Amino acid sequence: MKLSWLSSAALIAVAATVVRVAFFTPLELRQGAAQKIFYIHVPAAWVAFLAFGLVAVASAVFLWLRDPRLDRFAESSAEVGVVFTTVVLITGPIWAKPIWGTYWAWWDVRLVSTLFLWFIYVAYLVLRGAVDSPTLRARYSAVLGILGAFLIPFIHLSVYLFTTLHPQPIIGKASKPSLPAEMLWTFFLAFAAFTLLYVAFIVSRYRYAEERDAIASRPDLHA
Amino acid sequence: MPDTFFSYYLAYAAALGIYALYALSLYTRRKRLREKR
Repeated sequence: MKLSWLSSAALIAVAATVVRVAFFTPLELRQGAAQKIFYIHVPAAWVAFLAFGLVAVASAVFLWLRDPRLDRFAESSAEVGVVFTTVVLITGPIWAKPIWGTYWAWWDVRLVSTLFLWFIYVAYLVLRGAVDSPTLRARYSAVLGILGAFLIPFIHLSVYLFTTLHPQPIIGKASKPSLPAEMLWTFFLAFAAFTLLYVAFIVSRYRYAEERDAIASRPDLHA
Repeated sequence: MPDTFFSYYLAYAAALGIYALYALSLYTRRKRLREKR
């Protein structure tokens, strides 16, 4: 198995993040080691929002231009976004248990709306698998891809609009980030590493879709 | 300071495991396509 330079760079960046988190980032006084989940949970949430936001943009432009490359990109970004959202939904409860005393709270709008976001894009992928006509598949999924992304600003604002267990942002806020420099640099490294991992996944997934479509258009390869 | 190392290790193992599985699934799917070609 030969890795592309992009995949290698993403792998090195993720490994560097894990090492920095483990050995060069101090423990937080009140939460202890559980706070280190922050460096994997928050970048995954950022990438999930980025991925689904780009699905919506690519889908909207697709409905206008009808370029199959945009549909392929949207399909790739939705699948990768589901992977990152899965990480958010698994690391979140593992972090919550020792800190909040519970894995999950069904009344918490941030938690439940993130789960809904995951369901919408899983449905997007199921829809793509269920429609045979490439034209209809691209059109239907583009509409769902756009509508699903409307949840993103709602999820972001949910911690301000409702009473939630989930804390408000400590970095993406109007005032200065409330983290010491060592933790902040680790966060920036994690942020860059997982964004790079997203790009590497997208490139690979897009190439797969391209090769699959090329085969589908060759009548001699149809079963 | 609470002893929360288990949660920390579990979360990293789960997250990195999911990313590794996805990378493997991408590799396998592309390999299968190339064989078909």
